Amino acid sequence: MEHIVFGIGITALTGALATVAGSAEDTESNIGSQGDPNSQVQLAPQMGFLHRIFNKAVAGEPPAYGLWCALGAGLAWAFMAMQFNAVLAIVLGSVLAVFVQGVYATTAYVGRTASLSKFGQPVYVDILKSMTTVTMAHAFIAIFATVAICQLINGALGHPFPLPLLGLIWGIALGAAGSATGNPYYGKERQYQNQKFGAGVPISASGNIVRYAEAGERNSIDNGFFTHKIGGSASGICFGLIVFLELWRTVLFEQVAAGWGAIVVGVLIILVFTVVDRYIEVWARKNYGPYSEIKEASS
Amino acid sequence: MSAVAAKPAAGSAMNPTAMAVGVVLLLILLGIAYYVYPAGLMPLVLIVVGGVLIGFGVHFVPVGGAPAAMGQAPGIATGVAMLAAGGGLAGLFGGAWAAAAGQDALVVVITGGIGGGLMMAITCMMVNFVYVFGMGIPAASGKVAKDPITGDSQAEYKSQGTEGHGLPFVSFVGGVIGGLFAGAGGTLIYLELLNVYQAALPAVMGITAAQVMPIAVSAAGMFAVGMFLVNAVLTAYNITGTIEGPHDPKFKRWPRSVVASAVASALCGLVAILIVAM
Amino acid sequence: MTVKVEVIEGGIPHNKIMIAGIVSTLVCLYLTYLNVLTSTEMFSFFGGLAVIAALIWGSHTIKVLCSYGIGTGVPSAGMIAFGSGVIAMLLATKFGILAPIVAAVLAAVIGIILGYVSNNILNMKIPTMVQSLTEMAVVGALTLMGFAALMTGGFTFAGLTTGHVTSLGMVLLTHQQSFLGGCLIAVAFLLGAIAIQHPFNACLGPGWKQDRMLVLTAECGFLSMLVAAVMSFALISTGSAIISLVIAIIGWAYTYKEYMVLSKRDAAAWLDAKPIPEVEGH
Repeated sequence: MEHIVFGIGITALTGALATVAGSAEDTESNIGSQGDPNSQVQLAPQMGFLHRIFNKAVAGEPPAYGLWCALGAGLAWAFMAMQFNAVLAIVLGSVLAVFVQGVYATTAYVGRTASLSKFGQPVYVDILKSMTTVTMAHAFIAIFATVAICQLINGALGHPFPLPLLGLIWGIALGAAGSATGNPYYGKERQYQNQKFGAGVPISASGNIVRYAEAGERNSIDNGFFTHKIGGSASGICFGLIVFLELWRTVLFEQVAAGWGAIVVGVLIILVFTVVDRYIEVWARKNYGPYSEIKEASS
Repeated sequence: MSAVAAKPAAGSAMNPTAMAVGVVLLLILLGIAYYVYPAGLMPLVLIVVGGVLIGFGVHFVPVGGAPAAMGQAPGIATGVAMLAAGGGLAGLFGGAWAAAAGQDALVVVITGGIGGGLMMAITCMMVNFVYVFGMGIPAASGKVAKDPITGDSQAEYKSQGTEGHGLPFVSFVGGVIGGLFAGAGGTLIYLELLNVYQAALPAVMGITAAQVMPIAVSAAGMFAVGMFLVNAVLTAYNITGTIEGPHDPKFKRWPRSVVASAVASALCGLVAILIVAM
Repeated sequence: MTVKVEVIEGGIPHNKIMIAGIVSTLVCLYLTYLNVLTSTEMFSFFGGLAVIAALIWGSHTIKVLCSYGIGTGVPSAGMIAFGSGVIAMLLATKFGILAPIVAAVLAAVIGIILGYVSNNILNMKIPTMVQSLTEMAVVGALTLMGFAALMTGGFTFAGLTTGHVTSLGMVLLTHQQSFLGGCLIAVAFLLGAIAIQHPFNACLGPGWKQDRMLVLTAECGFLSMLVAAVMSFALISTGSAIISLVIAIIGWAYTYKEYMVLSKRDAAAWLDAKPIPEVEGH
């Protein structure tokens, strides 16, 4: 019983850390402009829309965060093997991982922009100087929280995988969850703020991202501040739910009916989310209504 | 992306000769396993099954790529290989935990599947959440007139100039099924390799079974991740990057991927098992 | 819609880079064997240099492959390279001093079969697919072997699976604190997979230049060597780890500066706090 109470306490802590990690991850990838929305940042100069947005073309978020978190975890593991205190080891590991992330970000921005020289897109050194440290700071929060989750899962809950492998797994999961949830919000809502609200971006408008903001020219910190409110929070809730529910159903129900208890609870949770998703979909159809008249023939 | 050299029309055509060669390759690899290390034949067959589950399951996952990030195409706005990896690895995490708790093999594999399905269910639900409540855009498919599961008509909910957006219910179900299969497949590969290593490594390395645990777990886990990525990338090649879900016409290309995943998994699994055979 | 991928010809031909890459990688890997001959771990840094040589070769292979528009993007190529390479590498470590050569041959076999599967069964029909996937599998296996040599001082299976732990003044053999036991191979996997695809991904565009991309590869390689050297402090003697770390820091600082110089050469403009230039009609 005590064992389960301890497990639930750790689960709650990891859920909270995961929420912070998810939110920081999405905000970092929006400030750096990484992943699929970044294709618009790269396309814009080719269509003649020069801009001052940070163009961080470092793979997509899942592999990139897989690397930062695995690296942070691997370094933490090495420091702990050298008898460092666990918290200090995780902090140092995260700092070095963030250093790597910052270097990759700068080389990506400079490289991509230099290769777009044909279209006249300049490299803005002041963007390099001001954005890099902000994205590194957000990445540090995400990496530290994720490596802390891995250490708790390995050390306190007794998962067999060693710390670096857990870092790889949860880093990729973090990137996938944050990218899936936060990318459309950044891509459509913020980059194409001048398009009509409540509809997707028409293909004819590709490349015409917003470049002039409330006061002067838009840069990536403006994007981060905007998307953090909804996109960041949603990504945080998404990853937090994933980690919390996965650990919760295992810690509480693993011993029930020789493992079938956890499976049944998992199926029930999936069904709950399916019902919620269906409700959201139907709510949208009913409250937003169709864009045009219901057609008889298929289009 | 414009291609430099014009590819001859590949698309969804199937190449019967190549498929037959693939099946022959698979049988040869199984034969080599039987000849060199008979105890490894059954694990290798199960590893092939796991790889096929991954390859087949990834076809269900709705991926929209760069256009989805702008609300121009339905699906999730991430790369298919890495999104599937995210779901499958979350499943592998759960499955490995169940294996360490000493559960029965069937329970372990299903637990891995549920882990993957759960991650995909939460992610797909949050994607729709952001589209509907954050951006005011309902879900609509661009490839079918009516949702195959719910019967909702799609065309009038598609905004002008786009191919659809969000995750219609069939895509959501596809995502969950994809996570289930991918998680189960990855866990099956991990479990088989773990059993092989736990059984044979103590003799090979001259140490006790308890001491070999960290090595066996790490090696099996790393190989599971590696084979997962190989199978997911091969599927990404098969669907050429984006797919809306099981209702998408591209889904019909799955037989090619099953053969490809079987050959790739047999090859990688054979090499992984030979570590204890040589 | 993404940046148009156009092949820019010019620069050193790919086959030259391939041959130079495979020769220098194997030479550097074998130079780590000096550790065994001299009973120290001082020559582990050659493992890091092997990584850089392999990555330079591999990034150029990715450039050749992805210029054909494979439809899924550049990072996947890195993943499949290392996914197939990690398995080949670990089996090869069982062959003692022949490990690097066995790794190359085995990975080549895996790569050829994967290339055949992709081109014919999956109908991708890209002219260089088989050769590129073969090369990338070999690069993946040799890069991982380089990381293993850098972090543990050797490339044999026994070296990768045993480590030392000091307890109560005694040095005990352990399997948990080792390259494989602690799964540092997962970190090496991702370090290599991101480093191999980053140079082409970051220099993608009509203004692609070969020398800039290759310098960026060297920079990514030295950066990976830097963090791997920090991790090696847990597995090899402090003196040897410091040698690797110092070489990595010097190499990284030089290649990073060089990369910035080349980017400044190629960029349309290198502005500091200036407004967006006016373009006609926008």
